[in-house]
Amino acid sequence: MKKKDIMLAAILLLVAFLLFLVLRPKDGAKGGQIQITVDGVLYGTYSLFEEREIRVEQERGVNLIYVRDGAAWMAQADCPDGYCIGQGKIREKGQSIVCLPHRLVVEVTEANGDMAEEGQQGFRPPDAVVH
Amino acid sequence: MKKYISVLMVSVCLVSVCLLCSSMISGCGKMKPMQEEGGKKQEETEKSQGNQNDEENGEGRETEAVLEFFAMDTFMRVSAYGEKEQAEAAVAAAREEVYRLENLLSTGLATSEIGQANESGGGMVSADTVYLLKRAQQLYGQTMGAFDITVYPLMQAWGFTEKEYRVPDAEEIEKLLEKTDAMQIMVDEENGRVEFGMDGMQIDLGGITKGYTSARIMEIYKEAGIASGLVSLGGNVQALGTKPDGTLWRIGLQHPDKEGYLGILQVRDKAVITSGGYERYFEQDGVRYHHILDPATGYPARSGLISVTVVSADGALADGLSTSLFIMGKERAVQFWREHADVFDMVLYTEEGELYVTEGISGDFSAEIPVNVIGREP
Repeated sequence: MKKKDIMLAAILLLVAFLLFLVLRPKDGAKGGQIQITVDGVLYGTYSLFEEREIRVEQERGVNLIYVRDGAAWMAQADCPDGYCIGQGKIREKGQSIVCLPHRLVVEVTEANGDMAEEGQQGFRPPDAVVH
Repeated sequence: MKKYISVLMVSVCLVSVCLLCSSMISGCGKMKPMQEEGGKKQEETEKSQGNQNDEENGEGRETEAVLEFFAMDTFMRVSAYGEKEQAEAAVAAAREEVYRLENLLSTGLATSEIGQANESGGGMVSADTVYLLKRAQQLYGQTMGAFDITVYPLMQAWGFTEKEYRVPDAEEIEKLLEKTDAMQIMVDEENGRVEFGMDGMQIDLGGITKGYTSARIMEIYKEAGIASGLVSLGGNVQALGTKPDGTLWRIGLQHPDKEGYLGILQVRDKAVITSGGYERYFEQDGVRYHHILDPATGYPARSGLISVTVVSADGALADGLSTSLFIMGKERAVQFWREHADVFDMVLYTEEGELYVTEGISGDFSAEIPVNVIGREP
C-alpha cells in the first residue's frame, strides 16, 4: 500500500472512533428512578442520577427531597414527627420513604443498573422490609 | 479508487461493530426520558404489571397486582399474584377489608365500636371485635400482663396519641395505673357486648389490629384463589405461600440504628412483625422516652432490648407478642418462647448489640453480625 492509502485509512479509523464516542448509548442506561406521590396522586418522576432538590409544597406542609448519585433522601420536612428524615437513603427498587402526616411517598420505581455499592449481603433487595 | 472504497467499508464496519459492542455492554437500558408531571389525577396509585414467570412454571401468565394507600394511620401496600383480573380483585378486596376493620376498630374514630365503647364505658361489639377482645384477654394472661389493652389512658398522658409529648409526674402515673387492668374488661360473647369494670377505662386494640388485618387478608386471598401474595401494613409484613417461582419471600429487618438491615429472613406463609422503642419516642432533658409502655409501671419499658421481631403463621399473635416480648426482656421472652415454640419464632436485638434467633428460623435468617441461636433446651 502506498503512503497515501495508509494515511487515508488512519483518518477514516479516527473518524470511526470519534463517531463511536459520540454516538454510543449514554450511561443513562443505569435506570434508577423515583416517583413521588402525595395522597396517592402522582407528583413527579425523577432520575436518581440527576442531582436535584425537589421541593414539594402542599396544604399539609413542605418536604424537601434530595437526589444524588443513585440515592434519594428526605432532607427537610415540617411535619410534626420528622420520622421521614430519619428514614435514610433509598436506592433499590421497592424501597420507599413515607412522610405520614403529609401523605407523601418517595419510592424507587426503577432499579439501579449497577449493584449496590456497599455490597450488603449479596445483594438482592428484599421483597419487603419490616419495621 | 477500489482501495478507497474497501478502506471506507472497513471503517464503516468498525464503527458498526463498536456501536454494537457498547450497546451490548451497557445492556438494553430502557432510557425513559425524565418526566415531570404534576397532579395527574388518579384515585390511588395502582400498578398492574405483567410479569413473565420462569419459563419452567407452565402455569400461564402470573401477574402481580399492587395497591398502595393510607389507612390505620399508616402506609399500606398489598400485593397478590394470579391471573390479572383475579389478582386485581384480590387486592381490591384486601383494601376494602382494611378500611372495614379501620372503621370498626380504630380507637381514634368516635364512630368505631371501640370509640363508642370508650365513650360509654362499654357497648355493642360485632364478631371481629369480640374475637379480638378475647384474644387480647388470652394474651394478657399468657404474658402475665405485659399485653394490656387498657393502657390507653397512660398513652394519652405521655402524649403519644396526639403527639404532644410530656413526662407525667409519678402521682399522675399512679392514678392512671389504677385504671390499667385488663381483668376489668368483661366480654359477653353471646350478646355481643363489652363492659368496663371501672370508670375512666379506655381500651385500644392497636397492638393487635394490624396483625389481625393482615391475617384476614391472607384469608381473602385464599378465597380469591390466590396462592402467592405479600402485604405490608405500616411495616407489619405477612406473606401467603411462596413467591410465584417457588422461592421463599425475603424479608429485611430494618436496622434500628442505621441504614441497611439487621438481617434477612426467608419465609413462607408467615407474618413478620417488629416492635422497638426506636420507632416512636421523644427526648426531654437528655432522656429518651419511647412509646412501648410497661403496663406494670406506667413508664416506657426498659428491658435491655432494642427490637423484637416475631414470626408466626398467626398474624394477631405475632403483633401482640412483638410488644409483649419487648416489655418482658430477653430472659422472660426466651422462657416464653420455649413454652410456645410450636407457634412462633423470634429475633431479638439487645442493647449490647447482640442478635438472638430462635431455633425454628435460624436456618432461614442471615445477618452480617454473629447470630446466637436459642434452642428449645435451656
